[in-house]
Amino acid sequence: MLILARKAEEEIRIGDNIVVKVLGIHNGQVKLGIDAPRDMRVVRGELYRDIKQANVEASQADRDAAARAAAGLKRPTSS
Amino acid sequence: MKFTNRQFGELEFEESHVVTFPDGLIGFERFRKFLIVDDEATEPFRWLVSVEDGGLSFPLLDPALLLPGYAADAATGGGKTVFVVATLRGATGGSTVNLRSPLVIDNTARTARQVVLDDEGLPLQFPLAPASPAPAGR
Repeated sequence: MLILARKAEEEIRIGDNIVVKVLGIHNGQVKLGIDAPRDMRVVRGELYRDIKQANVEASQADRDAAARAAAGLKRPTSS
Repeated sequence: MKFTNRQFGELEFEESHVVTFPDGLIGFERFRKFLIVDDEATEPFRWLVSVEDGGLSFPLLDPALLLPGYAADAATGGGKTVFVVATLRGATGGSTVNLRSPLVIDNTARTARQVVLDDEGLPLQFPLAPASPAPAGR
């Protein structure tokens, strides 16, 4: 892993069109500004992990489970 | 062309029906080529079926069935279809859809992405059905 020390207001450039700028550092939290092409996914690590987990669970579905869930969707909700 | 899927058996398809995810799905970046398969047995769920891995498929729902107006921004530009990925749990209830990162398909280019919407209020696990009421006594 490349390790670079940066101060507030300083940037890192990745390739031709990605800029990561340190906007500020307060109470152990670093605020970053990121400029990247729109079609490039920029996402917090925790959210990436959670979405991956959701995808992994989704991929385990089979047609029987889907048929049951579909029946549940169609059943009129009574109260 | 033909391939075999664990759930659907042998599927025959035209190359022009393939939807390409240049970045794959999140956590499944290696798999790029999918078909969207309608399935009478599971309707309204459709399936995103990998052409490259016969064991890989994801159940999809049209979000308009759940939330009119959902992710209108994601579909701007027209010619796009938005699906949400469903996680199915148990016989009844417990199933959810991921509203935070839907699939956006460009119908003309036949390309798609799993986007991450900016709205942090959108749940990764949105219940498909309201919690079923306690069984009523008789």
